[in-house]
Amino acid sequence: MTCRQRKVLTAVPSFSKDLPPTLSDLISASDTLHAAMPPAAPTYRFGFLRNITLEGIEPYLRYHMLRMGLRPDLIFGGYGSMRQDLMLPDSPLVKHCPDILVTALMLEELDPRYGFPGWNSAHSREELNSIFDALSASDAPTISLNTFIVPFHPETGALIAAPDAAGEVARLNEFVRAFVREHSPRFCLMDWDRLAHRIGEAEAMDYRYWYISKAPFKRSFLDALARELMKVVLALKGHGKKCLVLDCDNTLWGGIVGEDGIEGIHLDAHDYPGRAYYDFQKTVLQLAERGVLVTLCSKNNEQDVLDVLDKHPWSLLKRDHLSGFRINWEDKAANLAELAKELNIGLDAFVFVDDNPRELELIRQVLPQVTILQVPDRLYEYPALLRRDGLFDRLITSQEDKLRTSLYQTEGKRKAELNQHPDLESYLSSLGLTAAIHLATDGEAMRVVQLTQKTNQFNLTTRRYSDHDVAKFRASADACVYTLSASDRFGSLGLVGVFIAARRQDAAVVDSLLMSCRALGRRLEFAFVLECMRRIVADWGILSWEAEYLSTAKNSQAADFWNTLGFALLEQTEGRRRYGLPASMPKMDLPGFIHIERE
Amino acid sequence: MSDIENRTRDVMMKVLQISPQDISPDISRKNRPAWDSLKHMNLMLALEDEFGIEFSDKEIVELNSLHFLVDALRTKRS
Repeated sequence: MTCRQRKVLTAVPSFSKDLPPTLSDLISASDTLHAAMPPAAPTYRFGFLRNITLEGIEPYLRYHMLRMGLRPDLIFGGYGSMRQDLMLPDSPLVKHCPDILVTALMLEELDPRYGFPGWNSAHSREELNSIFDALSASDAPTISLNTFIVPFHPETGALIAAPDAAGEVARLNEFVRAFVREHSPRFCLMDWDRLAHRIGEAEAMDYRYWYISKAPFKRSFLDALARELMKVVLALKGHGKKCLVLDCDNTLWGGIVGEDGIEGIHLDAHDYPGRAYYDFQKTVLQLAERGVLVTLCSKNNEQDVLDVLDKHPWSLLKRDHLSGFRINWEDKAANLAELAKELNIGLDAFVFVDDNPRELELIRQVLPQVTILQVPDRLYEYPALLRRDGLFDRLITSQEDKLRTSLYQTEGKRKAELNQHPDLESYLSSLGLTAAIHLATDGEAMRVVQLTQKTNQFNLTTRRYSDHDVAKFRASADACVYTLSASDRFGSLGLVGVFIAARRQDAAVVDSLLMSCRALGRRLEFAFVLECMRRIVADWGILSWEAEYLSTAKNSQAADFWNTLGFALLEQTEGRRRYGLPASMPKMDLPGFIHIERE
Repeated sequence: MSDIENRTRDVMMKVLQISPQDISPDISRKNRPAWDSLKHMNLMLALEDEFGIEFSDKEIVELNSLHFLVDALRTKRS
């Protein structure tokens, strides 16, 4: 069924309208979630450095965290004692070892001159510089900085465009943003100014509590802030969305191409309603540029859709942007599951957009992991749909992101080739695989961080690291970080493997081993590990090895890796297997069809 | 017990994280340390949600016992 249905047949829950209606309902809902939580659920610690009362965020943050299966643990520093909280070794905040430090600063408290005639931001800048220094020197792997809310009402009157505090606050915010940019991804931004102006003064600010107890925000703002913090946590835990799946008729364009023809559909930069679809396509291009995989899943004749992409003058989306598609008359749940298999990413990383509530309802029931979005009935809200909730927000973008779509397309060509070979071995030999293996360079560090944060399937320990952590490993004489970049005659696969080891007396301990899923199925993981082990034995002269497998919901395919390599199982507990190799090298040869490039 | 008092007690229980028997008829911020200023803020916000009303800044500061709260809510709802 492709025709646009104005009447919503089944209510489809939306991503942003899912909060219990009252504060006490929210608290009880969290209590219920908390009671049902398995004891092994991971805890995530937030440390707030503040000069205002922000405790009101707790019910919201707690609710969103618990819903994602994470235990939140919040600690608030003293009012205005940010530096002491960071620098005194026995401060409760330091002892709490937060996973993320969050600033919550208001100019009213930071700068006693703020609000007086002729105020400028010089003093605040100095204050911020010294706070940022203290934050940088802390052990926290992730730090979020807030911007300041530009005054809602200019003190010089609005008519004469005089230099005013608003302009000065905006400059100060640019200073904060620049700091975050330069220190990304360890630092990230909580853009209070953007949130407050988006929500509006009446819904964001609670001046009653501001004057009673320095608590400036209403629930809409606190909830929005909690959701932004959740995005950071999810990005760090590798739960970011990776793939966009789009329906075609009444989603990529208005109308039905099979009935209206390529000339008859609505897609245009100038006319209503084609313009809304055109603007929506722009947002899709933005995501593709950021490395989100774009795919199609629609009930059409394949050629009709491809003709629109190839020939329609206003179709911004072209065949080259697609990492895959399923254009047929099969059911969409089966098609989505196939796409997930083809791209080798989890369905929970999928966002599916369709205009038809029945299709969305089917996906919701059959594949509840998939995030679903409906083309809004108010078409003018459509272009903002993919941006509004920041579903695809990440902390890091790397070179690989921009290449991703072409990498997946080359993968399609490889798969076609595979069908022509009698067996896997002969196919792999025909690929001309090259593995460049070396210590991680400065330029690769960001990609290493990114891979530790988002690799789920072939990941032996699933330890998520910040750039700060990776820098520590790289700087230590007793640790090393190796990378694998692979290529074959079809082209480069990019940086696809990370191996981190630490020296412990005469042994080396494998801290992390992970491979991007697009590099699997070529025995590259064996070549990578054997080469890293050989190099480490040569450098450190160690005599034996230790390694672990920590099981997660997603990494079962790597469960027997150490076993296959000849490691002996030393200890097995719930979710953890510890292995040892009482020799410097396993009895296994490098796969002959992989050429190792050593420098 | 009136409907307003029942609902107020229910909200108090959830927000202050105390059991029903801890809510004596004379409960106030003076005799219940768990009812601190942060909890008070959440309590007032939760009551506003529950009854669809808004407290003034003066009321937020002054309504510091179950008795006062129920009285004020009755007046606001009538």
